[in-house]
Amino acid sequence: MKENVVIIGGGIAGMEAARQLLLLGYHPIVVEQKDRLGGHVGQWHRLFPDMASAQDLIRGLGEEISDANIFLETKVNSINRLRDGYQVMLSNGVNVACRSLLVASGFQLFDAARKEEYGYGVYDHVITNSDLEAWFNGKPDVRIPEVPENVGFVHCVGSRDLKAGNLECSKVCCMTAVKQAIEIKEKFPSARVWCFYMDLRLFGKKYEDFYLGAQQEYGIQFVRGRVSEVGETADGRLQVKAEDTLTGKPLRVRLDLLVLMAGMACNPEMTRLARMARLDIDSDGFLKSLDNIRSINASNRPGIFFAGACTGPKTVPETLAEARAAALDIHRYLQKGL
Amino acid sequence: MTDFGFKLSKSSAVELDKVDTTLFERLCEASPDARICMNCGSCGATCTAGPYSGMSLRKVLLGLQRGQDVRPLLSGCMLCGKCTMVCPRGINTRNLILNLCRIYD
Amino acid sequence: MIDRVASGFHPFVIPFVAGMVFVLGYCFIGIFRILLQLPAEDRKRFFISLVTPKTILKNIRDIFCDCLFHVKLWKRNRLLGYMHSSIAFGWFMLIVLGHIEVILFLPHRIRLFYYPIFFNFFVAEADSTIQGSLLFFLMDFFLLIILSGIALAMYKRIRSRIFGMRRTARPSLMNRIGLYSLWAIFPLRLLAESFTAHISGGSFLTIPANWVFRQFLGNDLNLLPTWWAYSIVLDVFMVVLPFSRYMHIPAEMMLIPLRNAGIRVRNARKGFAKVQVLSCPNCGVCIDACPMSVDKANIKDCTVYLTRQLRRKNERRIEEISDKCLLCGKCEAVCQVGVEGPALRIQLRSERKYALSPDYSCIPDPPPAESAGEGKVLYYAGCMSRLVPSVGRSVESVFRKAGIAYEWIDRDGGVCCGRPMYLAGRLEEAEAIVRKNEAQILGYGVGTLVVSCPICYKMFKEKYDLPGIRIVHYIDYMQELLDAGRLKASRSDLCYVYHDPCELGRGMGIYEEPRRLLGRIAAITESPKNRNESICCGGSLGSLTLSFAKREKMTRAALENLYDGKADAIATACPLCLATFSRYADRPVRDIAEIVDAQTVGTITKTEAI
Repeated sequence: MKENVVIIGGGIAGMEAARQLLLLGYHPIVVEQKDRLGGHVGQWHRLFPDMASAQDLIRGLGEEISDANIFLETKVNSINRLRDGYQVMLSNGVNVACRSLLVASGFQLFDAARKEEYGYGVYDHVITNSDLEAWFNGKPDVRIPEVPENVGFVHCVGSRDLKAGNLECSKVCCMTAVKQAIEIKEKFPSARVWCFYMDLRLFGKKYEDFYLGAQQEYGIQFVRGRVSEVGETADGRLQVKAEDTLTGKPLRVRLDLLVLMAGMACNPEMTRLARMARLDIDSDGFLKSLDNIRSINASNRPGIFFAGACTGPKTVPETLAEARAAALDIHRYLQKGL
Repeated sequence: MTDFGFKLSKSSAVELDKVDTTLFERLCEASPDARICMNCGSCGATCTAGPYSGMSLRKVLLGLQRGQDVRPLLSGCMLCGKCTMVCPRGINTRNLILNLCRIYD
Repeated sequence: MIDRVASGFHPFVIPFVAGMVFVLGYCFIGIFRILLQLPAEDRKRFFISLVTPKTILKNIRDIFCDCLFHVKLWKRNRLLGYMHSSIAFGWFMLIVLGHIEVILFLPHRIRLFYYPIFFNFFVAEADSTIQGSLLFFLMDFFLLIILSGIALAMYKRIRSRIFGMRRTARPSLMNRIGLYSLWAIFPLRLLAESFTAHISGGSFLTIPANWVFRQFLGNDLNLLPTWWAYSIVLDVFMVVLPFSRYMHIPAEMMLIPLRNAGIRVRNARKGFAKVQVLSCPNCGVCIDACPMSVDKANIKDCTVYLTRQLRRKNERRIEEISDKCLLCGKCEAVCQVGVEGPALRIQLRSERKYALSPDYSCIPDPPPAESAGEGKVLYYAGCMSRLVPSVGRSVESVFRKAGIAYEWIDRDGGVCCGRPMYLAGRLEEAEAIVRKNEAQILGYGVGTLVVSCPICYKMFKEKYDLPGIRIVHYIDYMQELLDAGRLKASRSDLCYVYHDPCELGRGMGIYEEPRRLLGRIAAITESPKNRNESICCGGSLGSLTLSFAKREKMTRAALENLYDGKADAIATACPLCLATFSRYADRPVRDIAEIVDAQTVGTITKTEAI
């Protein structure tokens, strides 16, 4: 009889951890709220820095965890402490006893409509990064003009913003914006593309190459200034106002498409889980790791581990690496007990 | 004087260690918020007075730290509060401007 | 009824007489000084009002309703109303009846003003005084009423909640002395009159009490000490009165005629404002009302503490209190005597000296009036509306559907209405903005100005001089479009709870119009605190010092009030409330303009102005 490990969340963190746990000889039970696995990445198009297909990644992971027990459209109803483990009650009536639990509940994309000054849901041509990926994946979107002349990207929408309730950087948006700007240029070579940023945080492997390429090959222009309001001209075009902080001049630009880089916000489901399992919440609202250097995967409760964006914004490779590390942590925890 | 074909003029560089930032420090006492600006430029972009006086609170705060005269910028401020609304760091900009207007010498 | 003391005098009246002389003297000098402090124009206005029959009647009515019957308190909480009016009216009646007694029985003593107060000491019952039994009965009756009020007042100090008050102001030392002496006055009077009742007569309260006392106190030795005590306590009360909250008793009688004369606060320290400050009874009703008091740290910044600090001249605290306030006006709305908390604060802010003053000459004057605006309406969205683009866009869409020719004056930026500057107390600077903006607006040559922000609306209505231009909030304008049949409305499936924005509701008295408009297109439900008791969203530009983080608690508290089981969404008519609530609300927040836009279709094809 293989030992149960409950994994809450069927995004890439949960899937990768399940894969590793299967290899280590456990019986992972993946609990996913949605009707499909893959989470946010499952709706993405291509992933930086290799521009690999997100769909392929999810498909590959999915195939490798076919032996795991996967409950879709299922929520965790309660988590109760047993003598040496937890009893997890699921919304589908299943009741699992396990010694170890993995929280991989991920993040929630910031609701761009809450930044009212950007007019998401008000103006006809304002979309989010996620909308754009869906469109790259073939989902029609009337907000995207047939041939946009001027396209703008707004970085830090709902990140580094006290007013949006999130003071932290979402880490991936700068790079996503550069990637999406390039993709837009590839689709519409005649378009002029502007990226409005506060700081370009291109810290990862090959990110700088993208930045360089965006400037050199695609002529994408980077404007250092946070967009403060989006208006409409009398003829119905979007008008974006920002300060070009490098020249110290206010600037306006008329656009046909504006893409908002919505950041990573706390998942309310995560907050609910934390209350249920008495997990500590960090000052940024995400789950609190035991420490942020050696034990990112460990929680304040024995046997409960974390992987992925439930502890804060992460890139795809970081999430996958964390999931593998969490699987090993769980393995070690369970071995020690035997 | 011999003409060498070039002239020595005063450097336009800001001598950062020699700038007199007394005013900025006094402002920080009254409005500690003055220190937390991250120069995003939202305030300047949204500023009602911006198109008229070039007002941008970001420039005012930075200017004070670089020893510039920021009075011309400030003079157009109507205290409308848009900058307070958009500031991602939640700076109480109106109070900061009022404090600055009070202590300016 | 006959004189018992031939001289009509006894030394125990001295404390009372001294107290009375002191307090009357103090008040007369006070009135004189206040009148001197009033600007000449206001003074003239006040004297004219004192001889205008209509105002005289209004003054008398208001003094009776507010000072004696505390009608506003009754409306707030019956127990609280009873407590205050029993003491005020009861005491008033004791004084009146005391005078009637003297006039009826000993008219030659009426010039001794202590006589009505200590009547029972100075008289002895005669056979002929049976007619006085009704008066004696009334005296005892009102004494009983007062005693019941005092008992309630004592209970209120322990448990204020049953009086509808969660928090009360902490009494200062002088207020405590005043309070305890007030509490002591009437039990002592009961004792004194009871000890004397076998000589002077009495009624249902004093005669039985006299009988009881005589059962175990077989002599009159207690008689004089209690009268002394009664007089001394009255003296203490009157001496403390000018320095305690009880100053509100005489001050309110001055405040009412001044207010009815139409005088406004023009200086926070003198004249009318001074009377307001003295009229504050420190009841603390404003503490519970204040949206800031959700945070315990802000309780001492409510209006009741402003008036206290103004009396103490504690400049540091005065500045703190006047700068922190949101100026939502709720304290004024609930205030029993009508202390204008926001107006006082704006005046206090205006006392500040600034080394730098703005110079708006950089704003260009518009080109001379063109005919471009003729026959059109002008739309002024205001600064805040531009940060919530849904508002301006909806107003514009409604204009288009109704076939209204319009110009959007500040589509691409404009001049602020000046109210934020005014609220900051920079009155001249605000005036300069107003003049600039007037020129801009007049330059369009339109007949109607539609405004979507209540902050601007109040400013336009009160401070602008725009001859020939009708200033209208879109609430009224859209209602007119619907009434004129230029728009056809369908009903929304959603049920809305309407939040009264401070500036539109308390500021401009517009409560019913938004409900009528919204009610036409959707179901409405009411929140527990609504209309003039609506809770500020916390986003107000009124506060100068409240940080963003500190406002969150206020916004959440205001939202709690709006979370009604039936409401699917929150509706409001102020861009600032909309932006503030949207940050934390658990359900959609919509501007009424958005809802109207979503629920209407146009019926007109031709474009014109109405």
